[in-house]
Amino acid sequence: MTQATMTARERAPRAPLTRLLRAELRWIFRRPRTLVVLGMLALLPVVVGIALTLVDSPGPPGGGPNGAGGGESLLVSAGGNALVLPVAALGMALALLLPLAAAMAGADAVAGETAHGTLRGWLLTPVSRGRLLLVKAFGVAAVAVAAVVAMALTGIVTGLVINGGGTLFTLSGTTLSFPAAVGKVALAAGWVALQLWAVGAVALAISTWTEHPMLVVVSVLAGTILFSVLGALDALDWLHPFLLNDSWQAIGDVLRDPVPTGELTEGALRALCYIAIALSIAYARLTTKDG
Amino acid sequence: MSTTLAGVDVPEGASTPAGPLAARTRGLRKTYGRTVAVDQVDLDVPEGAVLGMLGPNGSGKTTTIRMLLGLVRPTAGEVRLLGHPMPEGAGHALPDVGALVEGPGFHPFLSGRENLLRMAAAEPRLTTSDIRGAVDAALERVGLSAAANRRYRGYSLGMKQRLGLAGALLVPRRMVVLDEPTNGLDPAGTREIRTIIAELHAAGVTVLVSSHLLAEVEATCTHVAVLHAGTVVAQGELAELLESGSPSLLVSTPDTSAAMEALRSKRIPSRLAPEGIRVDLTAATAPEVLAALVRADVPVHEARRARTGLEDLFARLTQQEADESRMDGLSGVVEADGEATP
Repeated sequence: MTQATMTARERAPRAPLTRLLRAELRWIFRRPRTLVVLGMLALLPVVVGIALTLVDSPGPPGGGPNGAGGGESLLVSAGGNALVLPVAALGMALALLLPLAAAMAGADAVAGETAHGTLRGWLLTPVSRGRLLLVKAFGVAAVAVAAVVAMALTGIVTGLVINGGGTLFTLSGTTLSFPAAVGKVALAAGWVALQLWAVGAVALAISTWTEHPMLVVVSVLAGTILFSVLGALDALDWLHPFLLNDSWQAIGDVLRDPVPTGELTEGALRALCYIAIALSIAYARLTTKDG
Repeated sequence: MSTTLAGVDVPEGASTPAGPLAARTRGLRKTYGRTVAVDQVDLDVPEGAVLGMLGPNGSGKTTTIRMLLGLVRPTAGEVRLLGHPMPEGAGHALPDVGALVEGPGFHPFLSGRENLLRMAAAEPRLTTSDIRGAVDAALERVGLSAAANRRYRGYSLGMKQRLGLAGALLVPRRMVVLDEPTNGLDPAGTREIRTIIAELHAAGVTVLVSSHLLAEVEATCTHVAVLHAGTVVAQGELAELLESGSPSLLVSTPDTSAAMEALRSKRIPSRLAPEGIRVDLTAATAPEVLAALVRADVPVHEARRARTGLEDLFARLTQQEADESRMDGLSGVVEADGEATP
């Protein structure tokens, strides 16, 4: 017993954390699957921009059946507006495609590595399980950020190319300078990334319970769809504050001037709660499961 | 006496005069639901030994190794690896332990070298600038340099196994644990593994190698532990284990009837063997037997102590235990002479 306490006090040798993080990033961004998904997401704003130009809706301001703000009505404004396109594309992808990408990263992070027997390799070198979770969470977060940044960049470029620099109108009717417009897109991208971190954290938590990556992706996908359905049912409005995607429609708010922060803040806090809970579950499971 | 057989209660320390233990388990037990994977495993791995862990498939070899390495938390019992309690002391013990457990685990889309680089990034004993050199050296050592830049996806089973071995040898270790290292290897590959184990042994590294191939263990190991149905049924030095059981002398003679007659008159039991007779040495020593034969003018070509052979020993231990466990579960034990006692 005395020896146990003595050895615990003396620090165990460890590989530098930055080296682990770099190795994780290299692994993630060498994976063909990651690159394909990121590439497709980056193409999305381009496709949307071109489609809107071809449809050439000259002036549909009257407001169709979908008058209340949301991804689809945002898209209507994205035609002929360089500022709206990147944000609208992000809002559209946030509904399903971006959560899917985050789920994939979370699934590969632990379940995929367990399935390949590679998680055991790192546990044996050894990497402590707490550090392992830290590295894995960092990797998933990095994928989310990469996806969002790629979409924002291609969105801005596509918007400018198609509509020109003079079309940076907010939904409130004001015109923005280019740096101010980039700032707004960055705000939207950051907020979306935060939501994706929450999705990724949940995926990571599920990932620690299974060795089938597919199960993680399917669970997150089903959860996202289920949450959307539940969120659309007025009878369940007591449940809505607990649904992660309850405020995802509020992404369009960043395009107003000034920005109404209420729903965006609520969504951010909700995401932080999800992250805290999901990572706690992942930690509890990862530190006790058999390697 | 470093040979201990299950069921013989050996006081701690008495079983290990040879020196400190690199790894030790006491009363180790692991259950998965109602299935008992491993029970009452008291394993001693002396420092500097090459210990072969033998047992049929499903006898608990891998589960024991996984608990030894801290991958699995035992249901009961204690594990010490290089002096550190496991799994709590994993951070202290594992940097000096190289392991290949349950087959090699690598990413198919990365090359062999990239896979090892990823593994090496987590090695506490490697400085960042040493990583490349260590990876190249390990690849060279297992004969994979030529295929290092090919994707792991395209590796043959033997190449995968070699890469796993390279991972275990990235850093100079105090102990190396190899779980079924020759799985999927051709005879040449098996010989290379033996050479590597011999090199490690010569360098003073403790090696724990599990296998169900008896010849492999007999050829490479100094010590043996036989597992069966989740318990250690025998362990100790290979040579001693082989001589355990009823000692006997194989006498090669052309005149077997005269030889048996001469021995019978001295009340020494013997029976016919393929090239002569097999004399039971419980009643008489070898010199007494030879003296009796020579005095009776029996021509003797050769006399040698019968080594049980690992295969015999293994069959005896696991067979008895199997009969036993059919009757009263895992509580049965096997004594040195192989007779089951409840």
